[in-house]
Amino acid sequence: MNAPIIDPLQGDFPEVIEEYLEHGVMKCIAFNRRGTLLAAGCSDGNCVIWDFETRGIAKELRDKECNAAITSVCWSKYGHRILVSAADKSLTLWDVVSGERITRTILQQTPLQARLHPGSSTPSLCLACPLSSAPMIVDLTTGSTTVLPVSVPDAGNGLVPASRNKFSDGTPPFTPTAACFNKYGDLVYVGNSKGEILIIDYKTIQVHAMVPVTGGAVIKNIVFSRNGQYLLTNSNDRTLRIYENLLPLKDGRRALDDLEATHKELNGVEKLKAVGSKCLTLFRDFQDSVTKVHWKAPCFSGDGEWVVGGCASKGEHKIYIWDRAGHLVKILEGPKEALIDLAWHPVHPIVVSVSLTGLVYIWAKDYTENWSAFAPDFKELEENEEYVEREDEFDLVPETEKVKESDVNEDDEVDIVTLEKDSAFSDSDMSQDELCFLPAIPSPDVPEQQDKGVESSSKLVDSNHSGSPLSEEAGPNGRATNHASSPLEDDAGGSRMKRKRKPSEKILELQAEKVKKPLKPSGRLSKVKNKSVADLDNAEDNSNLYI
Amino acid sequence: MATETEPDQTESFKPYTLAKTLTPHKRAISAVKFSSDGRLLASSSADKTLRISVVKSSSDSPAPTVSLLQELEGHEQGVSDLAFSSDSKYLVSASDDKTLRLWDIETGSLIKTLSGHTNYAFCVNFNPQSNMIVSGSFDETVRIWDVKSAKCLKVLPAHSDPVTAVDFNRDGSLIVSSSYDGLCRIWDAATGHCMKTLIDDENPPVSYVKFSPNAKFLLVGTLDNTLRLWNYATGKFLKTYTGHVNSKYCLSSTFSVTNGKYIVSGSEDSCLYLWELQSRKIVQKLEGHTDTVISVSCHPTENMIASGALGNDKTVRIWTQEKD
Repeated sequence: MNAPIIDPLQGDFPEVIEEYLEHGVMKCIAFNRRGTLLAAGCSDGNCVIWDFETRGIAKELRDKECNAAITSVCWSKYGHRILVSAADKSLTLWDVVSGERITRTILQQTPLQARLHPGSSTPSLCLACPLSSAPMIVDLTTGSTTVLPVSVPDAGNGLVPASRNKFSDGTPPFTPTAACFNKYGDLVYVGNSKGEILIIDYKTIQVHAMVPVTGGAVIKNIVFSRNGQYLLTNSNDRTLRIYENLLPLKDGRRALDDLEATHKELNGVEKLKAVGSKCLTLFRDFQDSVTKVHWKAPCFSGDGEWVVGGCASKGEHKIYIWDRAGHLVKILEGPKEALIDLAWHPVHPIVVSVSLTGLVYIWAKDYTENWSAFAPDFKELEENEEYVEREDEFDLVPETEKVKESDVNEDDEVDIVTLEKDSAFSDSDMSQDELCFLPAIPSPDVPEQQDKGVESSSKLVDSNHSGSPLSEEAGPNGRATNHASSPLEDDAGGSRMKRKRKPSEKILELQAEKVKKPLKPSGRLSKVKNKSVADLDNAEDNSNLYI
Repeated sequence: MATETEPDQTESFKPYTLAKTLTPHKRAISAVKFSSDGRLLASSSADKTLRISVVKSSSDSPAPTVSLLQELEGHEQGVSDLAFSSDSKYLVSASDDKTLRLWDIETGSLIKTLSGHTNYAFCVNFNPQSNMIVSGSFDETVRIWDVKSAKCLKVLPAHSDPVTAVDFNRDGSLIVSSSYDGLCRIWDAATGHCMKTLIDDENPPVSYVKFSPNAKFLLVGTLDNTLRLWNYATGKFLKTYTGHVNSKYCLSSTFSVTNGKYIVSGSEDSCLYLWELQSRKIVQKLEGHTDTVISVSCHPTENMIASGALGNDKTVRIWTQEKD
C-alpha cells in the first residue's frame, strides 16, 4: 500500500556503510524472511537477535552448554525457530519468541552450515554440511542422520544404500561439499568436489539428476535465490555461476519423475545427465579476471536482480555487486578487515557484512535529498532550462487564479477498509502466523536518573556517565540490553553521526583501528564513550540546523 | 439529538445516546483513547495526570461499566496526548514539560522518560509493532524513539510550525505528520526520508491527521472548519466533511467502522458530529458537553464512542448505539 509513493526499492544496491552493530564477536548472520530481524551467531556460543528497524538487540539466545563459536544460523520459514550450528559439533534448535531451547543434537563432525527445511513453519528436518564429509539430513527430534550421496556411482541406476556416518561412495575425507534445499524443500541440490551439481530426493536418498559444472572445480557454496528461480554456485576456479532452475517451483519432485520417464531408454550417468540438463541451465558466470580473487559467501539480492559476492582475501573487505546480466555494477570497500559473512536484506537495498573483528557493517544507499517530496511543485532539473512564461502570467487577474472548481467527484465510493496484498512476498500465506518482530519490553529507567535531564539529550549523556559503573557490569559486550545507559547512548551518537555524514575512508579506518585495540571491557567502553560525547554534541548541532 | 435517517439508506442509522459521564480530571481533558483490544479507556488532562479505566460492556444494560484501573502521575506540566501500545501493556504520553513518558499499565509505574524535544511535546503514537514511538512537538520536529532503550533514533526536520499530529500506517512503514504550516508530510519510517508532501491551493493550518484503517487514505482536519479525506498516493482529496466548528483547537477525529462507515469528530460548539463516509451527510449531532469536544475515540469492536471536552466541562462521555 505504500508502493505508489516509496521509490521502487528493487533494482537498487547499497553504496556506503551506514552503520555498524557491535556485540561481542559475531561470526555469521541471517535475516528472517521479511528482514525485520537479524540473527547473528557469536564466537562465545550465543546467538543475538537484532531488531533491524531500531538497530537494537531484541533477544539473546544463550546456551550454558555451548561455548564454542557458532558456525551458522538459519531461520525457519515464518521466523518461529532458529537453528544454530556450533564448533562443538552441535546443532541447537531454538524457539524465538520464548527464547527457549527446543532440542540439541550432537553430530560426528562440526557442521559448517546447517539449513532448516524451508517447507514448514516448525521444521524438524535440517540439512547439515559438515566440515569434511558428505552433507546429511538430520532429524532434530530423533537425532538420526541420513548421509546424502555426493557422487554418482558408475554402475547401477543411481540408488545408493543408506548408511550411517560412512562415506557411501568412498570419497576421500576432507572434501568440502555444499548443499541447499530448493525453495519448498522437496529436493536437495548438492555441489560436490568433482564440480557436479546433484539433485537428490532426500526421502529416498536417490540422485535424480546431475549437472556437470564447466571446469569441474570443487564447488564451495551453492545457494538459491529467494524466489527459487536461480541457483548460484561458487567454485574453486574463482568463478561464480548462475543457473536457471527449469523445474517448477512447487512440484519439483514430480516434474523430475516425469523427466525421468521421458528418458527411460538411458541408464546410469547418461540418464542423470540428460535429466539434469532439463533441470538447470547455465545462465551466467562471473569472475574477477584482473585479480582472480576467491569468492566468499555469495548470494542473491532479495528480488534476484543482483548478485553479491565477498572477496575472500585477508586484510580486505570488498564486496562485489553484479547485475544478473553479468555486469559488475559496484565494488564496495570497507575497513581493512577480512570479510567472513554476507547477507542481502530480503526487501531493502541493504547489504550486511561481517568482518573478522566481529563487527556487522550495514551498507545502504547514499541518500540524496528528494526536494520534490518536500514541496510537490518543486521540479528537480538536471540542467538549466529556458523558462517560457504562460500567456497570462503577467495579467493583473490571471485566468488560473479565478475560482478553480474542484474537479473531484466527491460522490465516488471510497474504500477505507480493504487491504492490499503485499507484492514483495508472493507466497505469503495469510493463515500462517508469521513472526515479524519481537515484542519490545522497555527496560526501566534507574530511579535516580529520572529527575535529571529533562531538557536536551546532551544533559542526558552527562547523567548517564554518572551511572556508568552500571554499564560496565554488563560484561564484555559493548551493547548491554538491561542497562539503557551509556553503551546504547554511545551507539546512538556513533550511529547518528554516520547517518548524517557519509563517513570518509579515513574515518572508517580510524574506527577500524579503534575497534582493533585490546578488547578489555572497561578500556573499550571508556574509549567509545569519550568519542561519543563529542559526536553527540556534533549530532545535536546538526539537528539544530534543521530547526 | 436530531437524527436524520436518509430514505435511500439500506439500513436506518441507529442514533448514539449518552451512556455514561465520567469526571476523572480536575482540568480540561486533552485526549481520550481506547486500547486496541477495546478493554481499556485512557484520558489525559491539563491537570498533569492520566487515567486508565477498564470498560466492560454489559449485556443487560446499554451502559458499559467503567472502573478506574490506574492513575498515572509524574508529568511536570499538562499532558497533551497519549497512545496505547498494540499489546495494551504500555502507554506513552506527551506533555508540555517537553518529555514523553512511557508507563506500564499493569503496575501504573513510570518506566521511561523520553527527553529530547526542545519545546512542548504535542502528539504521540506507537507503531503497530510497538517497538518505535513517533512524537511531534512545538519545536517543529518529529522524533522517532526506540521503545526498548528510549533512545531517540531519528529527528525529522518535519515542518516550519508546531507539529500537531503524527500517525503510523498499518504496517509501520510510513509516518504522517501535520502542522500549523498547512502541510501534511509522509515519511519513510525506516530511513526518515520525506516521501511526499500534501499541499492544496490554500493552506489552512492542519490540526489533525490520521491514516485510514487500510492506510490508503488520510483523514485531515484543518482549522477552516473542514475535514478532508485525501488519497496520498495521488495527492488529491476525495471527500470533504463540513458542518462542525474547528478554527482554534486541534480536535481529533476518527473513523467508525464497527457498524457502517462513518467519520466522527468533535467540534468547538460542544457537540460531536457523525458523517456518513460516502455521502458526507451529517447523520447525527451528539449534544451534552458544555465545552469544546477536543478528542473522540471509537471502540475497536463495539459501537461505542468516547469523547472528552475542555475546561468548562472536564468530562469524558461514552456514547453507545441501541442494541437490537
